[in-house]
Amino acid sequence: MTVWHEALAGDAWLVGVDGRLDQTQNRDLENVLANLLDEGYIRFVVDLTETTYINSGGLRTLVTAWRKAQHHGGDLVLAGLSPKLQDVFSIVGFDQLFAIYATPEEAKKAILPE
Amino acid sequence: MSQEHVRTIPGRYEEIQNICAFMVQGAKEAGLDESALFHVELACDEACTNIIEHAYGDEGQGDIVASWQIDGNDFIMMLHDDGRVFNPDDVPDPTMPNQLTGEAALDSLQVGGLGIHFMRKLMDEVRYQFDPDQGNTLILVKKIGQE
Repeated sequence: MTVWHEALAGDAWLVGVDGRLDQTQNRDLENVLANLLDEGYIRFVVDLTETTYINSGGLRTLVTAWRKAQHHGGDLVLAGLSPKLQDVFSIVGFDQLFAIYATPEEAKKAILPE
Repeated sequence: MSQEHVRTIPGRYEEIQNICAFMVQGAKEAGLDESALFHVELACDEACTNIIEHAYGDEGQGDIVASWQIDGNDFIMMLHDDGRVFNPDDVPDPTMPNQLTGEAALDSLQVGGLGIHFMRKLMDEVRYQFDPDQGNTLILVKKIGQE
């Protein structure tokens, strides 16, 4: 699995997860998001287009970062979930919690300040 | 009842995928559909994670004995460990973070509750047995043909 991130306009970040987001790999995503939040960034698009699997640990990481971003007036939105991943999010009602967009491009437009 | 298929695997996060692949292979033989196979994989993952985190307290503290069998319309997964007592029935359903404010919302997600919530949602039955000499056994049942 690879966790990658790239800067967007307006101090936002695009963070991507390629492969399985499970207990062995979750820490990489946790570290990337925690470091960016520590540096004061509060707007994130998490691109899950290439994410093949997620468990409750992965969800916890995303919710933790989402809450911190929201607490500081920012947001964390998701993009590109496969039907399988959408299934996981809806089981625990997290599809209602996160703003979820079909593509990273749509999510970027939503996250950038007016 | 079909023959029981058993595999013993060290309780480490990197081994969870192997345990779940073994269970999914059994679920395939039971004729479960793609969606149910994914549910079996995820429920197995959450169960093993809880065993390592809560029954053993860390990686490398003991083995997980994984087994599956088919009994009529039931695909039965069993996960056994020798760690401390961990009864999923003692863990309340997590309160969803959008229904809480403050740190309480995050705390509610930190105690294994979310993984157990997954198991209950994904499987038709979740049963737990504890024997002071034999340890913990978690039994997860998926009904065949009712996916």
